[in-house]
Amino acid sequence: MRFTFFRRSASKPYHERLRALSLFRDLSSKELDIVSDLLHEREYLEHEVLFDEGEEGHAIYIIVSGHVLICHNSDPKKNLIADLGPGSFFGELALLTNAPRATQARAGSNCKVLVFFRDDFNNLLHTHVVIASKIGINLARHVGVRLRESVVGRRVEQSL
Amino acid sequence: MIARGADRSSHAISPLVWLAIITATCLSLFVFQKILWLVVPFLLALILYYLLAPPVHWLMLRGWSVAAASSLVMGSLVAGIVTAMVLGFPWLASHMIDWQALFSSYIHAGLQLVDRTLRMLESYWPVLADAEIAAKVSAQLNYWAANFADDQVAALVMGAGTWLPVLALVPFITFFQLRDGRRFKDFLSDAVPNAFFEKTLFLLNEVDRTTRAYFQGLMKLTVLDTVTLAAGLWLMGMPAPLALGFICAVFAWIPYVGSIAGGVLVVMVAATDFPSQPGMAYAAVALFIVVRLLDDFVYMPLTVGKSLHMHPLLTVVMIFVGGAIAGVPGLMLVLPMLGVFMVIGGTVGAIMYDPRLMARHRNARALRKRQASADLVEP
Repeated sequence: MRFTFFRRSASKPYHERLRALSLFRDLSSKELDIVSDLLHEREYLEHEVLFDEGEEGHAIYIIVSGHVLICHNSDPKKNLIADLGPGSFFGELALLTNAPRATQARAGSNCKVLVFFRDDFNNLLHTHVVIASKIGINLARHVGVRLRESVVGRRVEQSL
Repeated sequence: MIARGADRSSHAISPLVWLAIITATCLSLFVFQKILWLVVPFLLALILYYLLAPPVHWLMLRGWSVAAASSLVMGSLVAGIVTAMVLGFPWLASHMIDWQALFSSYIHAGLQLVDRTLRMLESYWPVLADAEIAAKVSAQLNYWAANFADDQVAALVMGAGTWLPVLALVPFITFFQLRDGRRFKDFLSDAVPNAFFEKTLFLLNEVDRTTRAYFQGLMKLTVLDTVTLAAGLWLMGMPAPLALGFICAVFAWIPYVGSIAGGVLVVMVAATDFPSQPGMAYAAVALFIVVRLLDDFVYMPLTVGKSLHMHPLLTVVMIFVGGAIAGVPGLMLVLPMLGVFMVIGGTVGAIMYDPRLMARHRNARALRKRQASADLVEP
């Protein structure tokens, strides 16, 4: 638990990383300020499970440091789908629907991630329609690209 | 694939969890009744927070920091209230005596109406006449009215004197909710283990959504009640229909008791302003019954009930339980508190009954323990 509740955070350490993500690339600095205030930072140890296959998804994960393994059937050795590094994001469909996660995410090394919740995204649709629209359009493009890549059998990965 | 425990959306709340939810609601009401001086400012601040959050977000989007936006919005509101009080105080003071006389005349006319109605009933049913119902009830009410000033006014004035400083806390609390609400949520979520993080954040969002929807629903209900009552009173030819409708709609925030108080108020006004037309008072009663039915079967399901997703039977039973435990505050607080505890209970139940989540939590603890002791030599 942190005891810095009443301390103001002066800097926005992840702005540049966020700006480089396809999801947030059209956002202005002020808009990015608002989005970054909605992100939660979490740290996971190597082998720790971020989410399970079949679990109801509520959030998208953005990797700040370390690696995350995306796999089927809880077996990253035999059924590895992707090994994602800093600047990648995964679980993005959870922004659109609470459908079960299609894969498991497991920390490949000690890692730090930013988590963006669907409820916060939905609130943006009411409070900041322009920001939500920009993220929504970029998300649709990203999903389209992944769909095309999966059809032609390429590896699914996005890097900064 | 791992067999998953049920997610919250599909998880049926077990009887044990239901028992815990109702117990927690009742216990909280009991405790809140003891610290009402603190609960009421927080509750009012919460309502104010949901009303002021949109302008704060609007300013933030235009480049203001959350602190500056909150300060400007809250400062403007406080300045507006202070200005209204400074300008309105002389007017209030000059009309106070008139209102006192008006209040007395309303009470007097109301008593006369009750007496007339009971005597009319006695003329139809001799049983009532034999029991001297009209004389007994009128004597009781006249005694209450005659001693009202001695028994109630001093207590009301003392109560107002006690509550005013406490109510001054409301803008203060609202300001910090606007400025630091997000960080408070982060503070809570940081304390949650990784395995439960997604579900817990979902829970916090649900609690926020439930309370916001409830209070926004209450505001919508107030507008609907005001418009319906004002239209009805205007059609009847009553004076100041909008003001009367609004006062009654605010009274209706207190389930059942508030509606009756509002109805009595309008009947008293009708009896005073139309002393020779008892039909007006009876029409006011009929209007209130119609609005009550509209409230229960149309407006509430569309506004407050929709936000809380509660079974109507549970709603009614809990309102009576809330009233029995904590009186009028209990009537007002029981539904939003039950809504919040339903969300918390449902989610905590889903986590506790999910063996996979518990296993992941144990695994994470073991990994952390191993990491913390990795470089330590066995003693």
